[in-house]
Formats: sequence, C-alpha cells, structure tokens
Amino acid sequence: MVNKHKECIAMLLAGGRGSRLKALTELVAKPAVTFGGKYRIIDFPLTNCVRSGIDTVGVMTQYQPLRLHDYIGKGQHWDLDRLYGGVSSLPPHSKPGSTAWYSGTANAVYQNQDFIENYAPEYVLVLAGDHVYKMDYSTMLDYHKKVNAACTIAVIEVPMKDASRFGILNTAEDDRVVEFEEKPKNPKNNLASMGIYIFSWHILRDYLNKDEEDENSNHDFGGDILPAMLKDGQRLFAYRFDGYWKDVGTEESLWQANMDLLDDLHLGFEDWHILSKSAGRPPHYIAPTGSIKNTLITEGCEIYGSVENSILSTGVIVEEGAVVKDAVIMENTRIGKGASVNYCILDEDTVVPDDAIVGASKESGGSLEIYSRDTVFEIDELKRRRAT
Amino acid sequence: MIGLCLSDPHPDRAGDGSPIRTLSAARFYGRYRLVDFMLSNMVNSSIYTIGMILNSHYQSLIEHIGMGKEWDLARKSGGVTFFPPYYADERQSVNSELDGPLQRAAEFLTDRKDEYIVLADSSIVYNMNYRQAFEAHKKNNADVTAIYTKKTITSGERENTAVFTVSEEGRVTGIGQAPLNIETINVSLGAYIMHKRTFIQLTAGERNCGMQRFSRILLADALDRLKVMAYEFKGYTAHICSVETFFHYNQDVLDMDKRNSLFDFEGRQIFTNLRDSLPAKYGKQADIKNSVVADGCRIDGTVINSIICRNVKIAPGAVVRNCVLQDDTVVENNASLDCIITDRSVKISENRKMMGYRTYPVYIERGRVI
Repeated sequence: MVNKHKECIAMLLAGGRGSRLKALTELVAKPAVTFGGKYRIIDFPLTNCVRSGIDTVGVMTQYQPLRLHDYIGKGQHWDLDRLYGGVSSLPPHSKPGSTAWYSGTANAVYQNQDFIENYAPEYVLVLAGDHVYKMDYSTMLDYHKKVNAACTIAVIEVPMKDASRFGILNTAEDDRVVEFEEKPKNPKNNLASMGIYIFSWHILRDYLNKDEEDENSNHDFGGDILPAMLKDGQRLFAYRFDGYWKDVGTEESLWQANMDLLDDLHLGFEDWHILSKSAGRPPHYIAPTGSIKNTLITEGCEIYGSVENSILSTGVIVEEGAVVKDAVIMENTRIGKGASVNYCILDEDTVVPDDAIVGASKESGGSLEIYSRDTVFEIDELKRRRAT
Repeated sequence: MIGLCLSDPHPDRAGDGSPIRTLSAARFYGRYRLVDFMLSNMVNSSIYTIGMILNSHYQSLIEHIGMGKEWDLARKSGGVTFFPPYYADERQSVNSELDGPLQRAAEFLTDRKDEYIVLADSSIVYNMNYRQAFEAHKKNNADVTAIYTKKTITSGERENTAVFTVSEEGRVTGIGQAPLNIETINVSLGAYIMHKRTFIQLTAGERNCGMQRFSRILLADALDRLKVMAYEFKGYTAHICSVETFFHYNQDVLDMDKRNSLFDFEGRQIFTNLRDSLPAKYGKQADIKNSVVADGCRIDGTVINSIICRNVKIAPGAVVRNCVLQDDTVVENNASLDCIITDRSVKISENRKMMGYRTYPVYIERGRVI
C-alpha cells in the first residue's frame, strides 16, 4: 500500500491570460510563454518545487490550456512523473450541483479541494505561474513551522519609490504581518508580496469555504483570504527572500528579465539547473558571415547575420545581412536577409521578410514593441531597390 | 521489425595512441553520440524493440541510453534490451571465457512475435527510414537486404569498412575490404534487413561478433546460398572508427547541406539525451565564424571552423581553430588551439599554444590539464 500522505503539496495558479503580454498570449497561457531562449515561465516554479522536495503539484489551468497541458505532459521533464503525486493539470470541471469557471485565485483552489484532500497534506504552497526566480520552498516551510503560522507570505524588499506598485505587507518587529495594503498610495513599508504563500491546510480550508459563501468576495488570495485571516487575528508571517525575482507579467518586465540573463546567466544560482522540456534540436551554427556580441543563442539556431544584446530562442534563423539588436526572439522565427530588428519581442513562428524594418533602435528613443506572427512588416524599399 | 545493434569491438587506442572511449558513445556534432543516429533511425522507422549487443567499455553507452526515454523507447512492451557479455557460471575464474551475448540475443529474437530484424552498426551516422528498404526487401523476395552507399572513403576508414560488389540485377556478389586506390565504391552501412531466422542461422556458434566479422566473413561465406540484395542509400553518411575519422567527419558537417541531410531530414529528428543546459552565451568580445556551438557554452574568445560541445568555456583572447572540443572543456585566456580534439573536462591553461594538422589532429585525453 502506497503511503498517500504528503506533508506539503503545491497549487500553481496558471489560468490567467496575461493580457498585458498582448500578442504573446493570444494562443498560449502566460505560464507557457517562452523565456530565456529555451524555457517556459512555468519551468521556474516547477523546478523550484522539485528542488525543494515537493513532488506533488496541481497546475490550475483555464485560459488557452491546450499548449500548456501539452507542455506539462506527464511531468517527465521535471521528474514529476511519479507513481503517486507528480504534476496534475487541473482545468475547471463540472461536478454534481455546479459547473463553474475559476472565478478567482482562491476559488480555483476551493474548486480543487478534492485533489488536495487526496494527499491529506498539512501544508499547501500556493504559487503564481508568471514569476522568474529560484527559491528553496523547504526553508520557507521550515520557517512557517518555526513561527507556527497560519499563513506565510514570501516577500521581497523593493525600493520605497516603487512600493506603491505592489501588494505591501506592514509587519511587526518579528515579521508578523499586521496589515496588508494592495498598491498603497502612501506605502508605510517596502516589503512586497511575491504571491507565494504557504498555508496550514486545515485553516485555509475553513477560510476558502467561508469565502465561497460571501457574495461580495472576489475570491482572491491577496484581496479576500489574507485580509479575512488578518481580521480574525490569525498568525500571518512575512518570509524575506533576497534573491533574484521578477514578475514577468508585462512586456517591459518580460523583456528586462530576458536581458538580465545577459548579466547573470544563472540568476545567482549556479547549481539550481532549471529543468525544461527541451526541443532536442542540433546545436546552433554560426556562418562565416555571422557576428555575435553579448547574446544568448539556443540550439537549432542558424546565424548568417549579426546579433547584439539579444536572446535567440530555439530554431531562430537570422539570414545574411540581417541585423538584430536588443531583441528577444521566440522559437522558430526567421529573420530575412537585410532585415533590421530593434528593441522588441518577436513572437514564435514569425517570418520577418527580407529588408523589413522591425522596431526602432533603443538609442534613438524607440519604445519596446511586441510583434505577433500576423504582423505585416514595413519594408525598406530603398534597400530592396539597391539590392535588385 | 526488431532492431539489433552490432558494433565492432573498438580499439582501446587509436591514432597516436590516445585512448578513446567506446566510439558509439563518442560525441558527434556538438551534442550527439554516435549511437543516437542508429536509435533515432530505428524509432523513426517505427521500430520500438531494440537489442544492443555489447562487447567492451559499454558503461557510458548504457548510462547514455538509460531507459531510452529520450528516444521514446521507455515502453511496457519493447524498448531497449542490452546484451552484455557475462560469466555463464559464477564459479568460473575471471580468466575463463565469457558467455556470448549472441546466444541470448537469439533467444530474445525467437521469443518475439516480429519476424524481421534490422541489423545496424552504431558507429555509422546517417538519417534513414528503414521501412523503404524493407519494402524493397519484400518486393525482391530477398533473404538479406544489404544497405550501402556510393562514396569515396578516407584512408582511416579503409580497414573498418566492408565493400560490396553489386551485380547488374542489384545482387551482392562479393563482400570485401576497400581497395587501396581511393575511388567511389559501394560502402556497406553495416545495416542489413533479414528474417530473424536467417540471422540466427548465420551467427550460429558465434559467441560475440562485430559488424566487420558479420559482413566480411559470416555473410560473405553465405553469398552463394542466400539471396543478398543491395539497397542504395543516397543521403550523407559518416563512419567514425578512429581519431582521424572522428575529426574529419565532425569538421565535414560544418557544411550546411551535409548537416541538413543528417538532422530533421524529411522530418526525422535525431534524438539524444537532454541535459537542459542554458543557452550558449556570447560575450562582448566573442568572435565566431563557421562553427557549431552546443548549449551551455560560454564564448568570449575567437572560434573558427570548430565544433564546440556542451558546457565548454572559451576565455577572452583565446583562439580556437579547426578544433573539436568535447563537453566541459575549458580554454583559458590567450591560449591558442589548432586542429586539436579534446575529450571531456580538458583544461587548456593560459597562454598555452597547441597545434596539430588536419591529417594529424592531436587528441587530448579526458580530464587532462595542459
């Protein structure tokens, strides 16, 4: 008989569209967006779970789940194809008496109580699917147990001037949370919630059930569950994290987080080794006409043109005479001869025609653009005429 | 069909006397091992039951293949079965003869429902769908279909290559060694299709045999009684059997036409085990031309006409020309290499200069610090 008990399981919120990423999330949910050349954003929380000894992860999906489900597969890429536990995709489903979409982050977990109860866990780790970071959740769990918390919230110090963009925790000296303010106009503290929570499951279960009956609730962890717990005097603690962490939910932050890899490829964690579903393509080829400076290049690429300060994902082809700068290029995109690509994110499977002008250079004050595969690109006619 | 891999016992020392690991586990094109091509060809031909006859130095090969997960061979029925040599009787001394893997392979074949086998050599690299050859096999009503290609071989391959004489009707009438004068000849790919019964009969009494013995002796002796038909493969092939050929063919695939006929050809992917290394990172001073670079590398120096395997580091000021640098090699500042092969985890210290020649590449063994 298998021991079905798990001390701590993870519930990963992967149902949001991420509409601020525009074209990139038309076909895929945000956690399935490519990052750093060969990863998908969801690789980060999944790898963190595995590295922290958590082998049971429920991934709650809703928006465009097809490719996300396909990507997760049986969990084999993260060693999460376990006999008992492992990774499970949890889309909304109908059950006797109800058929409902996930109406909020807390509601998504509420609707999957049966899944959680299967493992009879003491603790539930709630994760977001759109953050890039490396974190050992087991030390956070140790902390949670040490302070005897009902809920532990991972926090990161942000510059005071940026604090009004985050959910801010006001804490006592022992880091016990006394107040939670979502995007405060006049922040009193600079500890921002990272959207990573550990709950003692028996307490969370009660609050989820209560919250579900509250018609005025948005069924959100940050907006409803945490304030309700605080109001009741539950023990909420902040857990300080000081590594690299980035919410990649906007085009600017996604671009910047990609570029951060050029400064520190390992994001400060040499031995963490992010696990991923690799495409298994041949190594990349740099032609005699190619030139590469300060760039990440992934397997399957062929470079005949010049590339600088950029991230090239699997299977990207840069043809002769093309110039790519300050760009994040997703998989299997082809950049035609003589094209110029500047300061942008190019979606996967995009074909940039010969002599196209894509984006405006960062130095000349251009702004970051995202281009989908359907974009009709502007052509440099002068260049084309000269070429023919 | 069942796949059966027969490779040659490799010389422990090759070329200049440098030790070389089991060749089927040697690197090719930056991230692959030779055996990946054979396994991928099998899987791409819908052959999911594969037996591997092992003879010596097979540890890294078994580690590489494991359960066969990356080749989609981790299955309840089928998958990869290894046949290593072992002592038939525990009381026998270390010096006594080993039990032949071939007898056990014969039992394995007999127990399976499949009638036909594809015999393949893991040290020959190509991308092929065996099903087309199998169609020809049935159409010709052949006992054995021998797959070959027309090419000019390098002198280093001569000894390890079987050559066919093919009649006008396409029948193999002679199997021998390559002639000394280098010209276009019918080179065996060490790939044969036959009924499993035919294979068991041909190898009866053999404990273990390499591909060369199978082709040049066992099959050659049976040409009169068996209908052995030739099937020509027209794509790119590389036979790696020595340091020189290892160097020659690794360099050869820098040609994009050759690369394209090996990888993803007609949609057939070559699978290998995956390590999820980070993408390769190029620094601000990197200068790279006509080279292949695998994931996990960090390139700050100059690289020309080279194959750079996984997790290799090349420091600023270092110059690497016409080299094959295998996994985890480190080239420090201002070192200079030309026509050098490094095995895994070699370190070339600052300012060291080493040079071989295209026809005489220098091989640096695993873990050496220069």
